[in-house]
Amino acid sequence: MAVLSEITVPRPALRIVPRGLLRIELRRNAMIWMLPVAVALFWWQAYRHVMALPPMWNIRAMSMQNDALLDFAMPVAGAAAWMGWRERRRNVTDLLTSTAKVRWARNLATWAATTCWALGGYVACVAVVYGITARQATWGGPLWWPVIVGAAGIPALSAFGFTAGALLPGRFTTPLVTMAAFFGLGFSSSAASGDHSYLLVSPLIAGSVDVGADPGVATFYRYLPDLSVDQVMFLAGLTIALLGLLGSVTRPASSQSWRLRASTAVLAACGLAASGTAVALAGTAHLDAHGMTVIPALHDTASDQPVPYTPACGGEVPVCLQPAYSAYLPAVTRALEPVLAAVAGLPGAPARLSQVAEVYRQLPGNGILPGGGDGSAGYFTLPPVPGWEGETSADFASQLALNAAVPLVSGVLGIPARGAGSPAQEAVLSGLTRVGAVQGFGAGQGGIKQGLLPQPGSPVALAARRFAALPASAQHAWLLQHISALRSGQVTLAQLPLETGEDRA
Amino acid sequence: MMVTPARSSARLRGASTPAGLPRLIWLHAASRRVPGALVVLAACAGVMRVILASRWIVPGGPGSTQLPAMIEGAVAAVVVVTTYNPFGESESATGRWLPWLRAGTALAVTAAAIGLLSVAVAGAALPGGDLAMIRNTAGAAGLGLLCAGVVGGLLAWIGPLAYTVIAVIGIGERWTSPWTWPARTGLDRGAAICAGLAFGAGMVLIAVRGARNCVSD
Repeated sequence: MAVLSEITVPRPALRIVPRGLLRIELRRNAMIWMLPVAVALFWWQAYRHVMALPPMWNIRAMSMQNDALLDFAMPVAGAAAWMGWRERRRNVTDLLTSTAKVRWARNLATWAATTCWALGGYVACVAVVYGITARQATWGGPLWWPVIVGAAGIPALSAFGFTAGALLPGRFTTPLVTMAAFFGLGFSSSAASGDHSYLLVSPLIAGSVDVGADPGVATFYRYLPDLSVDQVMFLAGLTIALLGLLGSVTRPASSQSWRLRASTAVLAACGLAASGTAVALAGTAHLDAHGMTVIPALHDTASDQPVPYTPACGGEVPVCLQPAYSAYLPAVTRALEPVLAAVAGLPGAPARLSQVAEVYRQLPGNGILPGGGDGSAGYFTLPPVPGWEGETSADFASQLALNAAVPLVSGVLGIPARGAGSPAQEAVLSGLTRVGAVQGFGAGQGGIKQGLLPQPGSPVALAARRFAALPASAQHAWLLQHISALRSGQVTLAQLPLETGEDRA
Repeated sequence: MMVTPARSSARLRGASTPAGLPRLIWLHAASRRVPGALVVLAACAGVMRVILASRWIVPGGPGSTQLPAMIEGAVAAVVVVTTYNPFGESESATGRWLPWLRAGTALAVTAAAIGLLSVAVAGAALPGGDLAMIRNTAGAAGLGLLCAGVVGGLLAWIGPLAYTVIAVIGIGERWTSPWTWPARTGLDRGAAICAGLAFGAGMVLIAVRGARNCVSD
């Protein structure tokens, strides 16, 4: 007979969430029934919105961070709250108190199962969007930080709903928690500003508030993870704090429970500290020149280096774009080719036109001032591409003329950077670029400086219309012959060429 | 003290007479957690008041209609979970007053919700006005009552909240269908008819059949 002291009792493996219990919870979870709702919401709102955007990784990934998490907010928080008050609803709280596992461990298993299902649904939805984008995008690769922020938001939503359900069990808890999650998350970013705002910690914000998912962000320069890291820290801290709270307010039944209560209280305090730190860090955030949010304490200067790329070029006078925009190269060359052909060979005309990154500047009152290459030195910034925020191909072509053609031609014609040109210079500029006289843009509109383009209906505008009506070869020949006089302001409106057969009188 | 069978049956008979009716109504309301619902509804009205008083809503923007629509959806969700019957099927054998009690409770709680919200928005510029608030709350509550007949009282909130999400999207995308009534103006007749139909159908269903009794509840 073995002596009692010789018997070795196998010690159970230290596991907070028992595997068998987790398996049961995975099978019996309300989130399974809410997944179709979440997926339907995602399809209806996020998928349709994101897929309508231009197929660029930066725009789609940043938009999806906002939309996807909001679509999952109600189903996840609702299912978690429903699971949170299950023991009370079924009147088995006392019965389960007699089981081997403490209440916190049982709760963690239920929460983990709910979160697993929600995360699975979220990842599947993101995989569909990213899979389609991978086939459509012409350059670059997936941005993972927006996905990570969204994925960190799911456990936080689940913990919020579950803790509320467990601590405040009742028939009103689930609908109120569900609406509070949607309401709180949806409007968490509405009062945020792009500069030094604590509300930047909201997981719906991907990048600067006022720039948003702009095509110019994270193309020439890497996507800065500063804000994402801060948001993940906040969400992880919030999750830990809520789960810790769940354990610390459980009624202790033994000395072991007291130890558990103290441990979970410490856990909750750590979570709160992490979340508080993240909020404080968000308050130090500011906009950088590339349209992204920098948090000095989290910033890695190595991320500021430009992304190397081989430009996509086209046209007789090469027009070169960042390869992420190569799908728009035909439209850009079609819009700029006539202007480039007209000024080809003239002094100051660029031999090549290259796209450069936009430069962003934060203005007071939450405004943003984008800028960049002015076209005169062979550089230009691309306007918002068609499909982004309701932009049409016509808007794109018009804005392209303003962004690239007007500065380029005014440089060739010798129009001073600060000030107006002579009437003939204005007429030729308007006639060549078809801005002002033809497209109806007036001075001061569309970002054009005062006096650069003629007022509609003025003699200069009429002369511009006549010049625009000339064949391209005639425009080019006249410019080659008169460019010196035009640059020095010695050409009058009357000396501008007329169409063949047109009577000057 | 023991209650004799004769006295007990007299009490039960008394509950079905006009003299015992107030007590019956009170017991029915208490079993549906109506007092608790009124407290929660008052809190929702307070939130509405705070939102309208704060500068959170940008006048004219979609948020100015979306935020009140969300509060109204939450209020409707609270109203409809009061249809949950804790006694199960056995309650249906208790007397002839039950359909009236169910309909009366739903109507009274909806009226109380609208009244509390009206007090909360008094003097504030609610987008769409009071009529829109009444229409949105009653319409969403009607959907919830219909939902209670299908999935049970405890899950009846799914109806108003799902509808609120659709309505919030509809407001953002400027839908014009009268079935997304929160996206329409307060005086819109089509939207009022649709919301009224939803509320009427919900009331009829809850009066005739009551909320579904689910074993899984």
